[in-house]
Amino acid sequence: MKFKRFMTAGLTLCLAASVAGCSDNGEKSAENGKMTITAMKYIYGDPPPIDGPGLKKINEKFKVDYQPRFIPEADYDEKLTAVMASGDVPDIVGFKGFGVNEMKFYTWAKQGAFLPLDEYIKDYPTFKMVPDYAWDAMKVDGKIYGIPEYSPVSEVTPVIRKDWLDKLGLKMPTNYEELKKVAIAFTKQDPDGNGKDDTYGIAMGQNIDPDYNMGAYWDYTAWYHKNEQGRYIPGIISDARKQLIQFYADLYKEGALTRDFALMSWGDVNSKEFYAGKAGIFIAAPQGMSEPYMQSLLQVHPEAELVPIPPFQAPDGSKGFRARKPYFGMTALSAKLADQPEKVKRILEMIDFGRKFYPWEERTPDNKDFDWLWGHQGEGYVMKGGKPVAQKPESQPRTYLPDKKGWAPSLEANRYSMEYNVPQLANLTRQLEQMHVQTKHYFNPVNGIIPEIEQQKGEELRQFLINEQTKMIVGQRPIDEWDQMVQEFLNKGGAQWIKEMNEAIQAGNRQGFWK
Amino acid sequence: MHHRTLPDRVVDILNAAVLAVIAFTMLFPFIYIFAVSFSSLSAFSQSDLILWPEKWVTDAYEYILESEAFIRSLYVTAFVTVAGTFVNLTVTSMMAYALSRPITGGRMFQFMVLFTFLFTPGMIPTYLIVKATGLIDSVWSLILPAAVNSFNLIVMRQFFLNIPNELNEAAVIDGANDLQIFFRIILPLSKPALAAFGLFYAVSHWNNYFAGLLYLNDPAKWPIQVVLRQIVVVGEPTATLGGQHLLENPPPPETVQMAAILLATLPILIIYPFLQKHFAKGVMLGSIKG
Repeated sequence: MKFKRFMTAGLTLCLAASVAGCSDNGEKSAENGKMTITAMKYIYGDPPPIDGPGLKKINEKFKVDYQPRFIPEADYDEKLTAVMASGDVPDIVGFKGFGVNEMKFYTWAKQGAFLPLDEYIKDYPTFKMVPDYAWDAMKVDGKIYGIPEYSPVSEVTPVIRKDWLDKLGLKMPTNYEELKKVAIAFTKQDPDGNGKDDTYGIAMGQNIDPDYNMGAYWDYTAWYHKNEQGRYIPGIISDARKQLIQFYADLYKEGALTRDFALMSWGDVNSKEFYAGKAGIFIAAPQGMSEPYMQSLLQVHPEAELVPIPPFQAPDGSKGFRARKPYFGMTALSAKLADQPEKVKRILEMIDFGRKFYPWEERTPDNKDFDWLWGHQGEGYVMKGGKPVAQKPESQPRTYLPDKKGWAPSLEANRYSMEYNVPQLANLTRQLEQMHVQTKHYFNPVNGIIPEIEQQKGEELRQFLINEQTKMIVGQRPIDEWDQMVQEFLNKGGAQWIKEMNEAIQAGNRQGFWK
Repeated sequence: MHHRTLPDRVVDILNAAVLAVIAFTMLFPFIYIFAVSFSSLSAFSQSDLILWPEKWVTDAYEYILESEAFIRSLYVTAFVTVAGTFVNLTVTSMMAYALSRPITGGRMFQFMVLFTFLFTPGMIPTYLIVKATGLIDSVWSLILPAAVNSFNLIVMRQFFLNIPNELNEAAVIDGANDLQIFFRIILPLSKPALAAFGLFYAVSHWNNYFAGLLYLNDPAKWPIQVVLRQIVVVGEPTATLGGQHLLENPPPPETVQMAAILLATLPILIIYPFLQKHFAKGVMLGSIKG
């Protein structure tokens, strides 16, 4: 009896403490007449200090007491879950546009944690530039709960060592048969001319990653093909994928594919295989390329020249790669702001300001807004060769803004190639940009559609297929068993998955399209 | 000493060989990390396996030791380890001693200790309590929520039970009060126990990263493990099936990662030899007494 009383007392105490802890937060905005705005977002790399000069500039400009917290991306999910569960939802919450974090966005939006933004999206210049298919992806039950963060259409696509092609007198491949011949030639004909058998064709890592689709037709993440009932099916079970797996298996047999790819991490594929000059074919995109990697390749092979492989003509006549998701991530606002429209407007103003796009010519100290965003010349950045070079991230207001990606009016407006200082990389990215501008892209109908079964089983189902397909590449399972594998997948829940995805596609009145 | 036969010697040699192999598997990662950390990036990417640097390059170490964040986090961790271990030992030994003596309510406390040992609260309830007590963003959030480890408490109580009550009685006759008995008689007798548990606690403080990540929003207060994870994990982008290959910041080179691992492990490693002799005695606590 004594024990029971003790426990009850203890529990009551804990509860009381936690209630008290919750209630004193959120409403202490009266201080100095400034609005307190809290934010939480993931960050790649190191978080900025919590009281940097850049933050002070934001507080002065927008007359707020802005308290952003940036969490290392690898641990963001756990931290955010704890914070959300504590009931203390930050005013602004940033999400990644992929993986578990993306799912959480939809889950919490469904549970009512976030504010519907439909009435605001017409009021801000950078929101008006967002295409409808991107807003569609932000919807839960017909309402918009997030502001998409800019992401270019240009997905990573295959690139090839042009210096090797030239050395062996080979042409740029235009179909998989030719690509196979090139990959085998890279393996057997000593393209680097050092007399050693130390090169091969295609660099690959675990999970059959990267995907060497030469167009949306072969892309395993695209919902492009349809089955007999006219339903979309995931690319990973399509006949086109089967053809691609056969292609990999043929290469693997010839030693033209990374030998122990099934166990190789993505970092190693980069640093120990392709950028170490061992393989001749890899992937790249105009944006987000690593200069240190390129430099390490140039150290081994100073003559290395990378060029994009243009998309192949597919059997159905289509030609072009899949477009990237139209959002890199999304920014949501807390549902608690529903009765504080003034605060919502102030927040959206801040978000809008960070999203304004400046062409390269306008990224100069003469442009006041740009100069402010980057923390003033000489403090947050310096001009080098006509380009702004960031110096101290903590001095730049953009470091602290919830969304700092400029929403470019078109892919070519970005001119990503200007960002690189390694000439070979600038060259490659320029060509990639051209290729993407000149070719059409397939827009996936499934962006932002995450039915329940996807959350419960999506990962497991995909992993099953990836594992079986890995076995097929290395010859542990015959590719003749493809249909059997697809059937196993359907029985494990794949059929339900396809059904639910298609229902959601129809409910959202969407379809895949080329543009 | 009996005469050594040939089979004896064979067994010895086999023993030595097997143990050497096992020891090497433990040492190997360290050797590799050591070698890579002193190699140049190009040497690293060119060779499959480095066990000794070809050319000694200290770039990685210079880079790390120049970074303010790394050094600052070492100070934070040093503080948390010293202060945390002190708090741990104080609270654990006092509570364990009290529970080893016949006191009222002792059974119920014992039950509760056992209860928390078997059923630990999850991440979110703990987070709620830390938040409610205002410890968020304070380094004490790394120390107070883990002030007592119930397993350690149970074992230490077992140790105290072996100290005969006659000692207490003798002390009482000499006029000592409870605190005097504890500090002047019990604790001096418990040095091996304190050393062993101190080491357990210290290592767990040193290696703890998750609490730091969860409770500290200010990167300036981060302990070394969070910074280390930052350096190492960022270098290994999530190659998920979605294929998210595009990062804002390129990963730091592997050599820097390895140097960071070494620098973050070294300090706690150095403590081991000094506590070795107590430690060997200490881990036997609670087992059969001779």
